[in-house]
Amino acid sequence: MTRHLPVILFLLPLCLAINLPVIGLKHREWCRPLVITIVIGMVLVSIANLVGVLHTGTIHYAFGGWAAPVGIEWVADGLASVMTVALSLVALVCVIFLSSVLFPYLGSRIVPFYILVLLLIASLIGMVFAGDLFNLFVFLEVSALCAYALVGLAGGKALVAGFRYLILGTFGASLYLLGVGYLYAETGTLNMADLALRVPPLVGSKAIAVGVLFMFIGLGIKMALVPLHGWLPDAYTYAPDRVSPMLASLVTKVALYGWIRIMFWVLGAHAVVYQIPVLFLVGLLGAVAALVGAFLALSQENIKRMFAYGGLSHIGLVLVGISLGNQTGFAGGVFYLLNDAVMQAGLFFWAGAIIHLYGVRNIEDLTRLHGGAGWMSVALVVIALSMIGIPPTGGFFGKWYIILGALEAQNYLAIAAVLIATLLTLAYFLKLFERVFRERSVEQPPLIREVPLAVRVSLGATSVAVIVLGLMSDHIVSFLLKTAIPPGL
Amino acid sequence: MFELIQGWLERPNYFAFVLLFLWGIYIMVTRYNLVKKLIGMYLMQTSVIFFLVTTSAKQGATVPILLSTTEAIQPEIYTNPLPHVLTLTAIVVGVATLGVSLALADAIYKKYGSLDEEEILKRME
Repeated sequence: MTRHLPVILFLLPLCLAINLPVIGLKHREWCRPLVITIVIGMVLVSIANLVGVLHTGTIHYAFGGWAAPVGIEWVADGLASVMTVALSLVALVCVIFLSSVLFPYLGSRIVPFYILVLLLIASLIGMVFAGDLFNLFVFLEVSALCAYALVGLAGGKALVAGFRYLILGTFGASLYLLGVGYLYAETGTLNMADLALRVPPLVGSKAIAVGVLFMFIGLGIKMALVPLHGWLPDAYTYAPDRVSPMLASLVTKVALYGWIRIMFWVLGAHAVVYQIPVLFLVGLLGAVAALVGAFLALSQENIKRMFAYGGLSHIGLVLVGISLGNQTGFAGGVFYLLNDAVMQAGLFFWAGAIIHLYGVRNIEDLTRLHGGAGWMSVALVVIALSMIGIPPTGGFFGKWYIILGALEAQNYLAIAAVLIATLLTLAYFLKLFERVFRERSVEQPPLIREVPLAVRVSLGATSVAVIVLGLMSDHIVSFLLKTAIPPGL
Repeated sequence: MFELIQGWLERPNYFAFVLLFLWGIYIMVTRYNLVKKLIGMYLMQTSVIFFLVTTSAKQGATVPILLSTTEAIQPEIYTNPLPHVLTLTAIVVGVATLGVSLALADAIYKKYGSLDEEEILKRME
């Protein structure tokens, strides 16, 4: 039974997505409870899968009974199982948030809206488990298509932002597919485990180098690595407030996960650490992304846009962590990736709630809160402390392990990048705090007095989660070190 | 330089792929009309599909269906079917992307009354 859990995890949202048009035809109000139930089911299945993987080892699921190099294979190892647990939990909180009464009534569009959300979750699960490069591409494109449509849902400026996202995203996907073609032409296989055997002897070949470079640029566009991030700020700023948490916390992070997979499980840890300068390049780009993203966030006026740029800088920090080429750095990077998913979700929950509760879109207008919104202020402070990296929160321990890894690798550039990015993050959050907590004469009542339950639950859950991640960091990192480290690192 | 051009002429299919790919990017970058951008995008996607197909091309080979069940299988007389299968999926993905993008372009046209990017940016202010 545990053998089938990865596929069940994928089929849960997919089956509901297929059946929802029929159910929604008559009972539109059933959509919300059904979707939340299914995602709760996903959380349970993903935890069961993690426990199963810990007991029985990596699960190789061969579709249709065709064995691995020829058939399509899903691999549920330690890293993938941890990622799916995090993904399901964040998706659950996001689904609770996006079904809140706070947001404009969608009418009959609610059914296709939930279908897109479910397909997005299903395809992200598929990307995490995919055992070959081409299936990774297919799931990448399914998730991207859902994301384009969800961004465009808001209408107006979001349409143009979504169109730009689509053009750039498709360009990235084509480059990725081209890279897969190069690797296939050189090695004759697409399966990651099989490639891991055949690539190392060929590591000097030009076709492999160019193919990997194309794949990196393609995934770089999808994960919004800094020189390639052009689509992200507009897309996340103008996307509907109810879906931007889900997009910001999951889509870019899973693309980054795909890159980690290719780097350490296809090229192999030995090749990237000792033979080809991939890690140096990734670390450099990560450091640049961490600094440039934070600098750009500092100069923003729109709250959502500021958080979007903050997300860019945190993608950079994760890349710095995994590029260090030792176990501590890798575990720190992956731990920071989990933290970042939670923090991004929390920040965009906050931004979306503040827009609808107080009508505030710009940092200037935040004075309207006047410290009066207890629930909102506390959530902001807790998540911001984690973004900056203050001890009891997860963000601090993520950065701590990345710095430990950098000390081990004697990479002082990485330490400098992490510290400067931390200071810049502190700077842009101070800008926010100053507006929220400063004494002001103008006080305006909120548009809605009562913070809706769904918003309270989602903000509370993310705030508690960053503290729990911080307090449990020791266990989580040693767990990652034990189960999720790539072979040979 | 001469050797480079000779190398291109020896493999005209790869040369055609590079040409189509860059042509697609050129159209995507330089045209302001959204539908023309989409044409460039589709050209680029098609060129990647062309690349996948061309890697499996083999002179004098036949379709990968066994000619006889009694004789020994001779792999060298068949073309590699896998790139074609990848191509099928890639085409489906491309068509789906094109569908979503045309829907977005249509919604933009209905909202701003123009498909010219500069005009749309002007009207967005």
